[in-house]
Amino acid sequence: MNNTVSFALLHFAFCFTLVSFTPISALELHGTGANMVETTCQKTPFYNLCVSALKSDPRSSGANVAGLAQIGTDKLKAKATATLRQITALLKVAKDPKLKMALRDCADYYNAIVKYDIPVAVEAVTKGDPKFGVEGATDAANEADACGRGFKNQPKFPIYASNKVVHDLSAVVASIVQLLL
Amino acid sequence: MVDTRPFLPVSSHAGSDPTGPSENRRKPMKLQLSIFFVLLTVGFFAALLTSNNGSDNGFVKENEHGSLASPSSEKQLRPVSRGPAVGVSEKSNRLFAKDNENQLAYPWNNSMLSWQRTAFHFQPEKNWMNDPNGPLFYKGWYHFFYQYNPHAAVWGDIVWGHAVSKDLIHWLHLPLAMVADQWYDKNGVWTGSATILPDGKVVMLYTGSTTENVQVQNLAYPADHSDPLLINWVKYSGNPVLVPPPGILDKDFRDPTTAWLTSEGKWRITIGSKINKTGIALVYDTKDFINYELLDGVLHAVPRTGMWECVDFFPVSKTEENGLDTSVNGPSVKHVVKASLDDDRHDYYSIGTYHEKNGTWIPDEPKIDVGIGLRYDYGIYYAAKTFYDQNKNRRVLWGWIGESDSEAADMQKGWASVQSIPRTILFDKKIGTHLLQWPVEEIESLRLKSYEFNQVKVQAGSVVPLDVGPATQLDIIAEFEIDKEALEKTTGSNVTFSCSSSGGTIERGALGPFGLLVLADDSLSEQTPVYFYIAKGSDGKLKTFFCNDQSRSSVASDVNKRIYGNLVPVLEGEKLSLRVLVDHSIVESFAQGGRTVITSRVYPTKAIYGAAKLFLFNNATEASVSASLRIWQMNSAFIRPYPNNKESQ
Repeated sequence: MNNTVSFALLHFAFCFTLVSFTPISALELHGTGANMVETTCQKTPFYNLCVSALKSDPRSSGANVAGLAQIGTDKLKAKATATLRQITALLKVAKDPKLKMALRDCADYYNAIVKYDIPVAVEAVTKGDPKFGVEGATDAANEADACGRGFKNQPKFPIYASNKVVHDLSAVVASIVQLLL
Repeated sequence: MVDTRPFLPVSSHAGSDPTGPSENRRKPMKLQLSIFFVLLTVGFFAALLTSNNGSDNGFVKENEHGSLASPSSEKQLRPVSRGPAVGVSEKSNRLFAKDNENQLAYPWNNSMLSWQRTAFHFQPEKNWMNDPNGPLFYKGWYHFFYQYNPHAAVWGDIVWGHAVSKDLIHWLHLPLAMVADQWYDKNGVWTGSATILPDGKVVMLYTGSTTENVQVQNLAYPADHSDPLLINWVKYSGNPVLVPPPGILDKDFRDPTTAWLTSEGKWRITIGSKINKTGIALVYDTKDFINYELLDGVLHAVPRTGMWECVDFFPVSKTEENGLDTSVNGPSVKHVVKASLDDDRHDYYSIGTYHEKNGTWIPDEPKIDVGIGLRYDYGIYYAAKTFYDQNKNRRVLWGWIGESDSEAADMQKGWASVQSIPRTILFDKKIGTHLLQWPVEEIESLRLKSYEFNQVKVQAGSVVPLDVGPATQLDIIAEFEIDKEALEKTTGSNVTFSCSSSGGTIERGALGPFGLLVLADDSLSEQTPVYFYIAKGSDGKLKTFFCNDQSRSSVASDVNKRIYGNLVPVLEGEKLSLRVLVDHSIVESFAQGGRTVITSRVYPTKAIYGAAKLFLFNNATEASVSASLRIWQMNSAFIRPYPNNKESQ
């Protein structure tokens, strides 16, 4: 009897100590932050991009879907703004008129993405009318697409990689916001 | 590795106690400590466990609400397999669609874009509009309010726009009625409805998105009831009057309806929401629009329909050809429940019976319950709202028509969205399950020159031009008769037809498609067909479909290219009838007196201004059709700001 009791007490005490040494909150014991990211990203068309984008933000551990949507739009905004800067810089040095034209079109699209699509998505998610967020993110993806198509007959597509990320990340954000409907 | 030895009770077994007999004297102290820590641990785990059930913690709630819990949720986004019927806004249809031509997004120029503005549909001078709000008739004026973004041609910063009209057609813009100036609507002055009290006074209930992004209901009323223009509005000092009740999430509580009277003399309203993925309509009773009592249960609920936005609830007469005040009830009355489904951006309605005592409603045909059956409109049409027009004893329906071009084009042209022409709503006595919608008669005041065509024969596989002069502002009423012999001779088949999955007008059947080509250029490189398609089953039964093919309306690649439509019931002896309102980038079409309606937005690049023409077409393989039409040129409604010198019109 004593042995059982001591064993039980030992067990409890051990757990308590272990637990008190790890920084946790009630949230994470229910389902870890990492799990939420993975489950949510499974519902998007670009799982790996989704996971790396969300996890790169410390807020993602312990975030709910709305929180992940907000992190996603923040990442998208950063990426799109950086790509726009890239385009502007390239425009300054471009000599080929066809290249200039394609870049100018992309600048227009990216202006739209940064100035309108993303703010709409952010507002829709924070205020709770997610359908407009889906639309905003989808439009961003379409605009990135349109930018890419402008380079179809060009020998070089200098912003290929960033444009693809913006497109794919927009699609990811659209899927996440969709979950809030 | 943590040293747990201090917490261990000293064993009384001589053999297992390594520290020897000297420990025995410290036993009671150690035991007490151990018990203390055990209780701590137990308490700790207990706290953890209970916090997982129903805490205010958003993360945990999200899990409980099932929107994430089921990995097999049908809302998974997959690039190519997504059909138009499932989920998202129509714009996402283009997300992964292949483009036929290796083209850029279309280089829209100002001429093309400015053509898109409508001549007689309500729209503000610029920027974004969405839901219709609080429509009513008051002291000689029809009032229309709407969700408006004063800053951009996209959704955001929403406030209430306002306009008035004597006839629901000629609108005059007034100053904004309500802006986001209180903590309870700082993040959005959203949709609401008006109730006219027996003494003629008006109260408005609307949803506010608070500084904390919680959706609440607020009360507002005119600052001056003697002002027929109702320019200034006052928000009740004790707002909000309703906050999300227990079990309802902060962001699932919006769009209060017009109130109706109960037999106890209380006012009753309904507000849409959802629980997990079940769409519901909550019911509240009130005596003063300030204090409310939430009824047990809901007006109605339908599983798997998601959030119900802009719920509407109203009576229709089974026998009379007029509208009914929202409070009317009785044996010759049916009640309609309507919801805008957030999940698929469509408006659904169902006809049924209202049980006043417990505030519930049961559909007549559960198979076509709210959200799974009939739609007001099979095109682009959302957030619709009716009001009882006591001026002409009719029930009038407003609906928001968004854009189906790119957001970039919207920004370039500086505006987005129009409202449909207001429609009267009547119960379709002949069918029993449908409502009939028809443009309000006042639209006929816009008719100018008319053209008549009698029994024009259109052979199988042919196109007939209709010379009506300019073809961008038209009111067309047409009747079609299909060759009876072909109807009988054609062999039926098991193949099922649907407008949206068909190939549009290039898919030829024995008995269809045939109808009109609107906004078409001479070479038909751009055309918007509005048509019927008759399918004969293997049992010989005929089914008539009514469709609108947007896919060839424009050579631009960055516009939606869908084929809208649905089955339209046609009774024995009925001719196929069609009414089409063409107004630049909007086409509203009504089949069989409004039994099935389709609104679509089109953005031609060539079939604009004088180049836009009208044709009859018949792409059936076996049947010829004959058409009789009356077509009117339509005047502009000259929608503009209310003149400063205070003269009307």
